[in-house]
Amino acid sequence: MDSEGLEKKIEELKLKEENGNVQTQAQGQLQIITFSELINDVSLHFQIIRFPKQIYVWIGYNTAKLGHMYAAATTRPNNMVSVTSILGGVSDNTGSGIAHRLVLKTGLNVILSCSIPKNSPMIEVWLLSLTHSHICMLTLSIGKLCPF
Amino acid sequence: MNIDNSTSLFPLSQLNFSRQIKGNETEIIISRYDDHFLVIATQIGTMGTMLYARKEEGVSINPTFNVSVIFGKRDEPMLIACARQLIEHLSLSGSSRPLVLSLGLKDHSAETLKGIVSAVIDNSTW
Repeated sequence: MDSEGLEKKIEELKLKEENGNVQTQAQGQLQIITFSELINDVSLHFQIIRFPKQIYVWIGYNTAKLGHMYAAATTRPNNMVSVTSILGGVSDNTGSGIAHRLVLKTGLNVILSCSIPKNSPMIEVWLLSLTHSHICMLTLSIGKLCPF
Repeated sequence: MNIDNSTSLFPLSQLNFSRQIKGNETEIIISRYDDHFLVIATQIGTMGTMLYARKEEGVSINPTFNVSVIFGKRDEPMLIACARQLIEHLSLSGSSRPLVLSLGLKDHSAETLKGIVSAVIDNSTW
């Protein structure tokens, strides 16, 4: 999928959101968003739980399994992002790469669970845009400005 | 209380609710994946310490359980006890799925943890 196709898809998704294809629940300080998307014959499922300074993201690649879990955050002294695998060791860095970039884009601590196979770079870019756009919307709707 | 049981596309079922435990507002989320359960209980606005609990298949009739901290405080035995109680209850209800438990609590007293265990047990349908 080329970048034009990607942008078109993102717009379509935003429209779908306004029409209610995305489930959102708010509870106290938390906001939970769930949605699914079919891309290149792959069903991608997203569960995003937004805490005040942390985000839990689950991404299911054609599956409802938990997958491998990673924790990522900025660390002192110079705010570099550190990532670690906390559940399910795996030798490829697909999941840790996504967690890393989520922290860079959102500035929040991230716990990511995903089962995305390696060697699917377009999927990663797509995922990042999707997840980021939803996190931004969550951030906006609880009264803060999305910094990116 | 919000119960979300798989909409036509979304494969997870999740349950979230709030409860007062020892005077602290606690948000609890229970998510059911194909191969795991995830329980998040937070009073402090973050996921806190994360634990992993699973049943081990052994030769004897009584199952044994393995609980470990995968992220956060490793010197809080009450958190491990909480995970242990939950995985045992899960196992007695017939499920052999592992449990990922996330506890972001203001205190680690026995009363708080008992409150968490009963809140989860009362509301879950493993």
